[in-house]
Amino acid sequence: MRQPSVISRRVAAAAVSLVVAAGAAACAGPQDNDAKADGTGTGKPQKGGTLSVLNTEAQSDFDPARLYTSGGGNVPSLVFRTLTTRDRENGAAGTKVVPDLATDTGRPNADATEWTYTLKEGLKFEDGTPITTADIKYGIERSFAAELSGGAPYLRDWLIGGADYEGPYKDKKGLASIETPDARTIVFKLNKPEGDFPFVATQTQFAPVPKAKDTGARYEEHPVSSGPYKVVKNEGDGRHLVLERNPHWSEKTDEERHAYPDTIDVKAGLDAAVINQRLSTSSGADAAAVTTDTNLGPAELAQVGSDKALAARVGTGHFGYTNYLAFNPKVKPFDNPKVRQAISYAINRTSVINAAGGSALAEPATTFLPDQPAFGYTPYDHFPAGKTGDPAKAKALLKEAGYANGLTISLTHSTAQNRETSPEVATAVQEALKQAGITVKLQGLEPNAFNEARWSVKDSPGFFLSRWGADWPSGGPFLAPIFDGRQIVKDGSNFNHAQLDDPSVNKEIDEINKLTDLSAAAKRWGALDKKIGEQALDVPLFHPVYKRLYGKDVKNIVISDWTGVLDISQVAVK
Amino acid sequence: MTRYLLKRLGGALLVLLALSVAVYALFYLVPGDPARLACGERCSTQQVTQVRERLGLDASVFTQYGHFLQGIVAGRDYSTGTAVLHCDAPCLGFSYKTDQQVTRLILERVPATLSLALGAMVIWLVIGVGTGLLSALRRGGITERALTVLTLAGTGMPVFILGLLLLMAVCAYLRWLPFPSYVPLSQDPEQWAWNLLLPWLTLGFFESAKYARLTRSSTLETLAEDHIRTFRAYGVGERAVVGRHALRGAVPPVIALNANDLGTVVGGAVLTETLFGIPGIGKTLVDAVRVVDVPVVVGVVLVTGTAVVLANVVADLLYAAADRRVALL
Amino acid sequence: MSTAVTAGASGARQVWRRLRGRPSAMVAGGVLVLLVVLALAAPLLAAIEGQDANSYHDALVDSARGGVPIGSFGGVSGDHWLGVEPGTGRDLFVRLLYGAQVSLLVAVGATAVQVLIGVVIGLAAGLGNRLLDTFLSRVTDVMVALPMLVLAIALTAVVPADFPRPLLLILVIGLLNWGGTARIVRAQTLTLKQLDFVAAARLGGSGRVRVARRELLPSLAAPVITYGAILLPSNIVIEASLSFLGVGVTPPTPSWGQMLSTAQTWFRADPTYVLLPAGLLFVTVLAFTVLGDAVRTALDPREASRLRVGTRAGRRARTGGDAATSLKETAS
Repeated sequence: MRQPSVISRRVAAAAVSLVVAAGAAACAGPQDNDAKADGTGTGKPQKGGTLSVLNTEAQSDFDPARLYTSGGGNVPSLVFRTLTTRDRENGAAGTKVVPDLATDTGRPNADATEWTYTLKEGLKFEDGTPITTADIKYGIERSFAAELSGGAPYLRDWLIGGADYEGPYKDKKGLASIETPDARTIVFKLNKPEGDFPFVATQTQFAPVPKAKDTGARYEEHPVSSGPYKVVKNEGDGRHLVLERNPHWSEKTDEERHAYPDTIDVKAGLDAAVINQRLSTSSGADAAAVTTDTNLGPAELAQVGSDKALAARVGTGHFGYTNYLAFNPKVKPFDNPKVRQAISYAINRTSVINAAGGSALAEPATTFLPDQPAFGYTPYDHFPAGKTGDPAKAKALLKEAGYANGLTISLTHSTAQNRETSPEVATAVQEALKQAGITVKLQGLEPNAFNEARWSVKDSPGFFLSRWGADWPSGGPFLAPIFDGRQIVKDGSNFNHAQLDDPSVNKEIDEINKLTDLSAAAKRWGALDKKIGEQALDVPLFHPVYKRLYGKDVKNIVISDWTGVLDISQVAVK
Repeated sequence: MTRYLLKRLGGALLVLLALSVAVYALFYLVPGDPARLACGERCSTQQVTQVRERLGLDASVFTQYGHFLQGIVAGRDYSTGTAVLHCDAPCLGFSYKTDQQVTRLILERVPATLSLALGAMVIWLVIGVGTGLLSALRRGGITERALTVLTLAGTGMPVFILGLLLLMAVCAYLRWLPFPSYVPLSQDPEQWAWNLLLPWLTLGFFESAKYARLTRSSTLETLAEDHIRTFRAYGVGERAVVGRHALRGAVPPVIALNANDLGTVVGGAVLTETLFGIPGIGKTLVDAVRVVDVPVVVGVVLVTGTAVVLANVVADLLYAAADRRVALL
Repeated sequence: MSTAVTAGASGARQVWRRLRGRPSAMVAGGVLVLLVVLALAAPLLAAIEGQDANSYHDALVDSARGGVPIGSFGGVSGDHWLGVEPGTGRDLFVRLLYGAQVSLLVAVGATAVQVLIGVVIGLAAGLGNRLLDTFLSRVTDVMVALPMLVLAIALTAVVPADFPRPLLLILVIGLLNWGGTARIVRAQTLTLKQLDFVAAARLGGSGRVRVARRELLPSLAAPVITYGAILLPSNIVIEASLSFLGVGVTPPTPSWGQMLSTAQTWFRADPTYVLLPAGLLFVTVLAFTVLGDAVRTALDPREASRLRVGTRAGRRARTGGDAATSLKETAS
């Protein structure tokens, strides 16, 4: 795992940044007060009808090689089937990996360096040709081509020879570490043990791509479907998509996707406020509409809260995600653990959570791992600040550290209006630290500059807002990139902000990666998190919660904790 | 006439060239690595290098600017490794953020902006010219005073406040209209009009104050001119004086101003589009600036500049055509 | 109004007399004086209310409902006269007062920069040789054609975060928007150059700089002040627009435009939060506009009489000017 990864870019970053309706004014409040909230329970879901999807971000990369998704994605998951996928269940049950194209979630060898999969029988592309393991191998190989960049780095890091492979266009021989002994068997050979491989096999790079239909960079205009729907219209670079049933997909081979609606009509490029307003009004085609990337903002939530019919049409989602204050201990005075502890004590999580949208949109965090069992969540609070901070304790620690007369520091944040790394949160931190005698100067950077600053080893600021989301619901992709000393990236994007290189931590990470028993691994990730937490290398602030509105005719709402997104493969509109 | 036109267009071209240099230089200074932006957040150093080569970002800023100009005039080729992507003239490059051709992206946004601009224009002309004429003809009365106060208030009202208050009144309290959500004309003309009504009113009211003032002053001026006095003295009816002569005096400046404003608004009614979430040129620009998507910003600024500069030329020509008394140089 | 004084003490007195004769100008002036006093007295008023601009009051907002202020009219109470801000519970009364400081400071500063650059460039173009004139006029054309709002957003992104923000806003607005002043000054200079007293001074052996300072500047005062009075309210709107688009002063410094920018999502749940900054901004801009209008008439009574007499030249000049300024004033 040389190159560290992050969150699922398209899924998470887009969704999360839209917690705030930054762009447009919100005219929340239903025009249609008769809107009956019969969304969830009543009536058995039926086949038929058209589901509208109203999104802010266009599906501009509709190429399985280029997508950075978690668990197969939202709209892509309707078109691409992968070796494994997420369990399409509500809540915590939805964090499990289940087979998709394969018959099981993968069979490892003894030390988890070799994974073997067998395809189900009767799988077909949208043109009726059978899906073979060669198509899957080819799909993975094209994701190594420079012009199809964008996917997660795990395959490049894990597959033997992956680091030097340049994709099938330049290197016709292919990648030797993916073997296809026959049309239904595929074997992956890794350079180190990875118990989490089944999670990675949910990513769209594991979707089959027929070599004969590959059009390189233009494949995204019409990707060949292996799922229940095929693309019949793709306009404006993914701003308007129309998906219709794929006649060659069979329910018998797919236990996860329901595919109730006949047609899926995706319209993107809309403002968050507009989407929420249309969903709340729910008139015409919007009655059968959902969104896969837009959440309710605080002001909209305040409005929805006063309307029962509307409140019944709000789904709640969680996603393994932590917003935190990061320290760079190479910069003074953050080299002093007492200063870091003082700041931990001084934090007022009530103000911070209000800045993030209030208690309905954020939960206080004292652990680095998200508060879900799948990650191995083990509660701890090493520097208890209570609900509103403990400035007295902070002052005492500062005195011990030699700053009896207070301290002046800079906090770097982004100017993006995302209620995560944004000015609102930074100001709440500034105000809380003031109570402890710490003067905070705010350093707002434009989003790209902010990311470059915090991901740089050389120029990383001493104290900044940061966030981390899971590529899949497990402790590994959460802790390793942040605390594994071998993942400090000198000339690229570094996520180990604290630049921690502790041999015992590194060794424990390696040990857990060997485990294929996921619940045993989870327990040890939790223990590791608790141990690292003692060093006060960061101050966890909050875990976001997503509130998602849907149209009044939409039934069978499933929101898993894998990504916290409303699962459009499950909903029915009849 | 032809010589004048050529001279003006030549000047306009120079202005646009200077504009492109200024914007290009400005964004070259913006912190942040465009290759990394184009490649995505989790690209390896090696991939970033490849992207940098592909987009020609490894060349000097002067060479880059040269390629950029060449793209506008003659089109440009980008190598993707397997194939060559040709970008037809006028090529403004590819968006770092979405990989889309900037020219195509802008063309996609034009209908929304045009819809907003033309509808609002009808409103500002009707309301602005109407109130201006009315207050000029009813001088000294209570009507004039009321209209003067109204137009002054209109001049002082920032467009986003006007829009916010209209939203509050019309869609939150009175509930006459749903929240606007832009629908293309080609998709559903009725919905198109309903959803644009509020933005039209906002932008229309906002601009109309200026027109009221201008119409009023030029009408008064014309009415005071000698030949109108003569007409009156000869007993030409008041209706004919106003209808045939005074109006004619008010038309040229209004046309000139209108051409200018249309240019500006087509170039992007940034605030109106942002407030109502209209996916037009102005909103595209603000969004692109926020993420430092340089090709989109430079492209949109150039298109905006072209609209404004051309509108200037057209305004002068129209002015001359409408008012024979003004001779072109 | 120091430049007015150079136009001669008697001239200033005359202007003042004319202004006093207009009730609307007096009301507008009164409103502005009150506003300036309130802005300057912000720390004092805050102390009287017993609040400050940046303290959070978590207990005054309903966290479960997105942080909406508890109580009617956005949490108005004896402690918080105009209620509190959603999400933070910061005192709105004090924040609005400090917001006035920012708006006025930036608008006045930016106008000063615009007028200064405009006069220098305009004079240089008007007095210089043909080459210089052509060059400067083209530069002015470019400045007028620039999409101001967009470049301002871009410029604020280029400058490092620790550069003082109000100063940055003054410079950005000032440096991008002097084209109109320069055009007017150039036109005026060209006209004045033909007049007898200037020609006489030049014949008398005065150098260009001396002529500009002694003879031209005083005569330019009236049009420049008039134009400055138009620029001032438009600069307030531009500052508010930039803050509205999220590139204004850095938090926690309050600003009206910034409040409106967050308020736009809140207008149903907490209408007070929209109406307060919107109302203040509106009244301020209106007062400046009314006063500017009055100052124009007071400085140039011929303008008013021209409406009655009517001259072609006057009309052409004015509509041309209007068209040029409209490019900049339209922050649509």
